[in-house]
Amino acid sequence: MSRSISIGSGSAYSTDRLDWAQELADSGLVQYMGFDCLAERTMALAQVRRLDDETAGHDQRIPELMRRFAGFLRRGGKMVGNFGAANPAAAADDVLRGLKLNGVTGVRVGVIHGDDVLDHVLDQDLELPEMGVTAQAIAAQVVSANAYIGADPIVELLEEGAQFILGGRVADPSLYVGPIAYEMGWALDDWEKMGTATLVAHLLECGTHATGGNYVDPPYRVLDDIVHLGFPLAHVSEDELVITKLEGTGGAVDIGTMKTQLAYEIHDPAAYLTPDSTADFSQVWVEEVGPNRVRVGGASGRPRPDSLKVLVGVDQGWKVVTEISYGGAGCVERAQLAAEVVAKRLEPYQLGIDEIRYDFHGMSALFDGQLPGGDPAEVRLRIAARCDDRETADAVAFEGQFLWMGPAGGGGVTTQMAPAIGVTPALLPREDVKLITEVIEA
Amino acid sequence: MKLREFAYSRSGDKGDIVNLCVFVYDDANWEVLRRELTVEKVRDKFGSLVKGEITRYELPGTKGLNFVMTEALGGGVSMSLRTDPHGKSYQSLLLEIDIDADEEIKPRLG
Repeated sequence: MSRSISIGSGSAYSTDRLDWAQELADSGLVQYMGFDCLAERTMALAQVRRLDDETAGHDQRIPELMRRFAGFLRRGGKMVGNFGAANPAAAADDVLRGLKLNGVTGVRVGVIHGDDVLDHVLDQDLELPEMGVTAQAIAAQVVSANAYIGADPIVELLEEGAQFILGGRVADPSLYVGPIAYEMGWALDDWEKMGTATLVAHLLECGTHATGGNYVDPPYRVLDDIVHLGFPLAHVSEDELVITKLEGTGGAVDIGTMKTQLAYEIHDPAAYLTPDSTADFSQVWVEEVGPNRVRVGGASGRPRPDSLKVLVGVDQGWKVVTEISYGGAGCVERAQLAAEVVAKRLEPYQLGIDEIRYDFHGMSALFDGQLPGGDPAEVRLRIAARCDDRETADAVAFEGQFLWMGPAGGGGVTTQMAPAIGVTPALLPREDVKLITEVIEA
Repeated sequence: MKLREFAYSRSGDKGDIVNLCVFVYDDANWEVLRRELTVEKVRDKFGSLVKGEITRYELPGTKGLNFVMTEALGGGVSMSLRTDPHGKSYQSLLLEIDIDADEEIKPRLG
């Protein structure tokens, strides 16, 4: 019998909804579910949680996840996700606890350790090109470093019989490339096949982004139902690659949703760099073969990069955002006056303020004034600052709130404050990232 | 006419880099898009939002373009103080670009 795999998408970010993913898992249409739980910022924030508490820093949805997917696991379904974030060991503990709590037995849990490369980044004083410094120059601010790791350890764990696989910063597409390579028997150095697997992975990894999320723009782009979007799934065989979604769900898998997902977050379409290959999507084609069924093909690949991308978390002090609204005649003038007054009142704090900006929602907040409009009926002043310390950030928040006292008619003050953890990329030779895999019998 | 009348777009972010893909609803408009939507037109529309380079790539298989813009997010999602640090809304600004070739273009809506 020729080989094939059916694999569904279960999550695209750390707080993605699990209810619709569960529907796909329970449909019986897929043998595998992939879960991407991380974004650039999520990873650094997870590291900060772990610094505060050594049992934290992993995906916080694991208890809910285990409850919702216990049935899928009991039926033999396999799950692969970067649930570990900054703490794969703690994630594994939660998974084992969840399996027990939900009465699931006989599941081999595979854990991938070793994406944390903070020591390497500092020891080798890696360059941080976007910041124009090396790691040692800002060593006191460097809080984390994680390498984007590929499909190799996933294939290894599947070969050892793992049914639930988790790791830290496993690259988004690799969560799908691993199962596809394993089930199809594709060698990880067959670059053509890796390009093909990466194409399927790329179309799945963003969840409902591929089925009508971030897509509708009436009256040009209209879909029948976007209330209840289906998560996407792929059927892969040697003959064809088909992307579809669960029947009865909203959204769409069509030419438009597939094309926008194809080019999402890629730079040179002929050289999409992942830990698994240099994929070439430039000649990819998409073809509708039925309602919400699209056939894709034409991907190819070249050897994977010798270096792995590392995201380095950098402590940037505190970020504060405070907002207030003005309406009616003269609202723009009053909002502008408010901004000027705050700037004056903050002069004593300017040494502690790295950057501050004043934006006007409804006018120029998104596009910096590149898209001029008419006079708005109401405007919301937004003051955002990055400060060296909490005291300075508090001063910015205080001055935002004090705008209650004028100019006239300011209302709806809100303030948000949080530690500012920046992330910046670096490159590390692949051989410096030593991964360890572990199988735990539950 | 506005690009929005015959093409669609999505933005994506990586660090301080934004990519904006553009596809035509009707393949008949592909050559016009390819000819008219230049880096210069995109740079003119984005102005102060993009401090770095803009590179244009083609996706001939799907009849699309991909614009990659560096230093485009005020420092990237984790550092930026902008309202939209991902640049998710950039697709809408791109679709505001005027394309001066009305007689050649088949618009999405009759």
